[in-house]
Amino acid sequence: MKKIFFLIFLGVFIGLFAELIDLNKASLDELKKLPITEQQAKDIYDFRYYQQYFTSFYDLRKIPSIDQKTLLKLKPLVMVSHYIEQDKAAQRREQIYYLIERLGSNEGFQEGVSDVWENYLMTPRDINKLTFSEVLNMPNVSPIDAAAILKRQAKGDTIANYRDLRKTPGLSHYGATNLKNYIYYSESEQKSDKLFIDYQLKYNDNVYEEEAEEMYKESMVSAMDGSNSISPRQKNQSFWGYFQMDKYSPAISNKFRIRLGNKWQAGILYNSRKGEPNIFQQNLKNIFSKFLPFSSNDLTDEISIDNKMFAGYHNKNIKVILGNYRATFGEGLVMENTDFYSSRKTGFGFSKRITGIIGDLSRTQEYALRGSAIEWNSPHLNAAFFYSNDKKDAVVFDSNNNGIIDEEDNLFSYITATRRFTDEEIENAEQFFNNYSWTDDTGVSHTNEFAINIAPRSDAFQEEIRGGHLEISPIIGTHFGFTGYEAVYDRYFQVYSPDSLKYLLIRTNDDADKKYKIMDSEIAALYSTKTENYERNYRRVIGFDWRTVLNNTSVQGEYAELSVDGSEFKLGDDPKAMIISAYTQFSDLYLLSLYRDYDLDFDNPYARGFSEHEKFDDTVFDKYAYTLNNPLLADLYINSAQAQAERGVYFETRYRMNRYLTLSRAYLDLWERKADARKSLRFQGEMDFRPIYQLSLRLKYKHQINRYDDDADKGVSKTDETTARIIAYLSNYDKISLEYRYNKVWFPPYPYLSNDAEAHTPDSNENDTIAEGTSLIHGDYINVDYVHNFNKNLKVAGSFIFWDGHGISHWDWEDMEIDFMGEKGMKFWFSIHDRISNNLYLTLKYKIKHYRTKEEEWRAWWNEPSEDVGENYFARVERKEHSIRLQLDWKF
Amino acid sequence: MKKFLILIFTVTVGLNLLSYSLLERESGNFIENNDARSSAMGGAAVSGGNRLFDAFINPANLGMMKKGFGYQFSLGVMKNDDNRSLPMYNFFDGYIDDATYASNVNYFSEYSLGIHYKYSFEKFGLSAAAFYRPLVDFNSYYKEEVRNDEGSDYNQYPQIIAQNYIEGDGTINSMGFVSSFNYKDLLSIGFEFSKLDGDTKLSKRVDWSDYAEETVAGDLPDTSVVVKRDFDDFGLKIGGNIKISPRFSLGFSYSPKVEFDVETGGFVNGAKIDTLLYQYIYDENDVVIDSLMYSDYFAQKYGEYKIPSRFRIGFSFQPRNIMRTFFNCDVELVNWSAVNTLFDDEFNYYVGVEHKLSYNLPLRIGFRYNTDYHLIEDSEMVMAEKISMPTFTAGTGFSFLKNFRFDISAEYSHRKYETLDLFMDGFYNYAELWNSITPENRGWENPDEVSESFIKVVSSVSFKW
Repeated sequence: MKKIFFLIFLGVFIGLFAELIDLNKASLDELKKLPITEQQAKDIYDFRYYQQYFTSFYDLRKIPSIDQKTLLKLKPLVMVSHYIEQDKAAQRREQIYYLIERLGSNEGFQEGVSDVWENYLMTPRDINKLTFSEVLNMPNVSPIDAAAILKRQAKGDTIANYRDLRKTPGLSHYGATNLKNYIYYSESEQKSDKLFIDYQLKYNDNVYEEEAEEMYKESMVSAMDGSNSISPRQKNQSFWGYFQMDKYSPAISNKFRIRLGNKWQAGILYNSRKGEPNIFQQNLKNIFSKFLPFSSNDLTDEISIDNKMFAGYHNKNIKVILGNYRATFGEGLVMENTDFYSSRKTGFGFSKRITGIIGDLSRTQEYALRGSAIEWNSPHLNAAFFYSNDKKDAVVFDSNNNGIIDEEDNLFSYITATRRFTDEEIENAEQFFNNYSWTDDTGVSHTNEFAINIAPRSDAFQEEIRGGHLEISPIIGTHFGFTGYEAVYDRYFQVYSPDSLKYLLIRTNDDADKKYKIMDSEIAALYSTKTENYERNYRRVIGFDWRTVLNNTSVQGEYAELSVDGSEFKLGDDPKAMIISAYTQFSDLYLLSLYRDYDLDFDNPYARGFSEHEKFDDTVFDKYAYTLNNPLLADLYINSAQAQAERGVYFETRYRMNRYLTLSRAYLDLWERKADARKSLRFQGEMDFRPIYQLSLRLKYKHQINRYDDDADKGVSKTDETTARIIAYLSNYDKISLEYRYNKVWFPPYPYLSNDAEAHTPDSNENDTIAEGTSLIHGDYINVDYVHNFNKNLKVAGSFIFWDGHGISHWDWEDMEIDFMGEKGMKFWFSIHDRISNNLYLTLKYKIKHYRTKEEEWRAWWNEPSEDVGENYFARVERKEHSIRLQLDWKF
Repeated sequence: MKKFLILIFTVTVGLNLLSYSLLERESGNFIENNDARSSAMGGAAVSGGNRLFDAFINPANLGMMKKGFGYQFSLGVMKNDDNRSLPMYNFFDGYIDDATYASNVNYFSEYSLGIHYKYSFEKFGLSAAAFYRPLVDFNSYYKEEVRNDEGSDYNQYPQIIAQNYIEGDGTINSMGFVSSFNYKDLLSIGFEFSKLDGDTKLSKRVDWSDYAEETVAGDLPDTSVVVKRDFDDFGLKIGGNIKISPRFSLGFSYSPKVEFDVETGGFVNGAKIDTLLYQYIYDENDVVIDSLMYSDYFAQKYGEYKIPSRFRIGFSFQPRNIMRTFFNCDVELVNWSAVNTLFDDEFNYYVGVEHKLSYNLPLRIGFRYNTDYHLIEDSEMVMAEKISMPTFTAGTGFSFLKNFRFDISAEYSHRKYETLDLFMDGFYNYAELWNSITPENRGWENPDEVSESFIKVVSSVSFKW
């Protein structure tokens, strides 16, 4: 009996003190010692290795081979220790992956900026040591927020944690929330200066934008003929057909970045736009050829793709960049080099600028700066100097009238081409069109009467820029800055007076006036380095910017001048531009007022100030591409990044009235276009009512009037748009929304659209018979959006839209890009966001879009009209577009 | 008995239905994926393929399978939507869009099957498989109508002049065996040896309508050509797999160029001929009159047929993910330049991911980007036409009856390309047939635009003892 007692005691003793097997640490051999099968042990090991660490014992039930019986058997034998990811970078990525995903999808003017913010997310910076401009450069942080933090710093106060940060007097809730992921509070939290490597591949086969496609499809024969006597029936009579632009060709970009903490950085970007050769077709073959079991015959092909690269060093005060960089100062009137335009770019909220110098791996190509830049940053003095020497694309015209466009000719303007052709390609095409001959139905042969004498050319001139920025901050939140640059060119820019210009741009002998509008004075106001008064090889722009923060208000502005024929040192006698704004912030409300005034002849290619419209909007480059001597000039408008010359006042606000009701971003803009003094008004406001947290009911109203000062003018137009949206926030971050939009547009009368088509036939002498007042057209839009999260690593989003625009254009934020939709159609898209591992992200998107083309283009007016109503028109034809987009991000 | 029934069932299903693109009616469609899992993963399986048919991509994949006996059967169904259109212009003489004049929707099918056995001894394994599969598919079908210009007054369609047909039939099949040798699950090498043969028939004909026959004085020319080809050769593929870590493995495969012995023959307007040469007919200005005719008949072999060599490398990555995850990525270099000096070597890309949403429910998605080449004859010039196509894939699968696994995938792709009119309009130029127009041939200055979509569904059943 004693023996039995002893054995029981021994068993209990051993049971109490025997080491339990830790499911999160045990090796496979240790797991095999448990009273389970070998396969079950391997399944447990694989679950931990390939899926997740155990957070509780009951996670074992997620393994199919572990049933309830086995679970109970294992319960006294195993334990689960708390697992902490040892790799700090992996740990950090796990915390902020949703923010990285959001930044990764930024495109346009924000895309290079996102890289900087992503760096700060991964390696946050010490909030107690940042300067004013460094805090201000964080996303969605206002100058008042930045001043509030700096004032605490100045008092010698240390911000200890996020809770402490929230208590900072004057710091908005919004500012603090946005800041929290980009900063740390004490040395102990500092992220190590480890090596980060990022690779991003973007593949996208979106079709050309409608405007660009129409430009390329424009018939070069009718444009040259100057009359409508022949109809082109052959595709090769356009650039589209000549270059076979309907062939499948995706846009591909490869970006590779490497950095050591926030100090050392370098990167390289290879970007090929649609239609251009890509790196995969060329460079990889060279790499592969070394390992190939066979020889390859085309390894010597030249690459004509854009590449950008930079290397930089940044310590506490100084930043040095070699290669491509972005330079942005003040309100962007003197220098902000991006190819991408953004309307109403206030510099606050989502249209934030990062001022100073940063490395540039964005898709900006024409306005890329390449050279070296240095920036000194301290609490009271900021200084930056930059030097760039790069070849730029330009529109060149036959200024010496020798019948060819060559290097002896002068330049007309910078241009960002939708597709960059090599000079050889484009010259061959021009020669083909110039020599085109055809025979009409009567057997008479025609030849080209006009030769193309104005055209885009790649790398047409050398631009050497020297510039700098000096900023003094005597007190927190207040600075006075000076920015200036001089661009030296190896060729002349020359723009004729309007009378000569219209015959250069428009292919006709006698009716150029019909198409050349008063708006086109904007074109004539382009900067020349060669005029009757002077001849020079440079363009100089200088400007002053300032900011001061007074309590909860920040007042800032910039004044800039382009040196033309005024005195070098006198202000006000040259073309100028000015912005002044005031931003007032309360806890639940902000108010922004902004005034801008840009002279028509302030032609600074690097100006990206606030505006409603981009340069050349509504000019012959926009509306009448088919009349142009060379339709490719339409790119001057399509890819314009400069602000249009405007004068106006803009108000913006957001007011969170209570937890149920918010006036989302609302604005009113009243402005006058300088070219023709057209006055416009635009208002937009949105109310968001959230009776319960899971349900949001939104009502948005937009109203715009062009030429509100003169109702009798033909150019008057009014737009009203009302949008209702219901969003239901479901569990697990799933979301469904339904949106309906209704538009009304009043536009000027166009009698030829509503009158008898017969009156317009070429042989008819009849006139229109129906009088018409202002017309009203209606448009509708219905959108259903759904986001489903399978789990935190896999998300599917999709949307279905039907719209009926009638000349009203709608836009849709499609997950990763914006899509513009005109006329009538439907589309469906879905995207899959897949976080394959902690450092590998895959996004796949597919879109189908069917839509109809512009209604008025369909009138076949040369046809004999039928007596039956409606037969004067061709049946409408739908376009069908299919596009795939893939993005792969690897972060190491 | 139950297993036998299932085998019967799968074979029966397999005898159903794949159709392919008209563009490849002469060069054939190279069949990319026979297995539904790798098909759903964009075809990326040179490393990480764990089904029998993944051995077709890399023979070394066979060595990475579990020991014992197994078989796999798969069938693919392809829907091909082919729309041919002409440009239309607006009243400003600008091109607006294309008007479709012929629309063909066709279905085609194909199946593959194979068995394998793996024997293990200590740390080594030896696997062998026998299989049958289609390698190149020549199936195609096209029909278009030619109507005159009477207009549609009185609610009637214009008269039909002729109906034109192109029909392609046949495949090059591959039958052979794969063998692989492996060391643990760390290293595997393998090879495939196969007998490649197939018969194909391509016919092209114009059926004149009764209206045309009655209206035109004299006989209308007979217009029927059938070309038959017999292909015969052997194929070889080698491959290797290496597991660098439990998460990461690399693979490669290489298949040398195959130059087939091709026997040709056929019928021209019903008359049997032993051999013939396919070519365009030209007028005195060297303009193509008709792409339909096969004229010169030479008593010698017609042409040659080559499949380019392919070199493929890829990796498979198994990260830690709350869903068990496999990420495969392949790059393939196709040595097109060895097939024809006008071609360039091209890369194909394959990316795919598999997540186990739950234990038995995988979700697979993928992306593939392929480039093919074709020769185009125009007058006396021969041009190379490069056609690239992206494909989006998705799929899933489930297990049943303990040892069976069913996988299904869908591949979707869409492409546009330009080509010459398949039946030149000048061929129908009989004044009696037309009111006001005089049909002429369209050349490359005004080609057809073809918009094609492909939906391919692959299902496969695999059994592992």
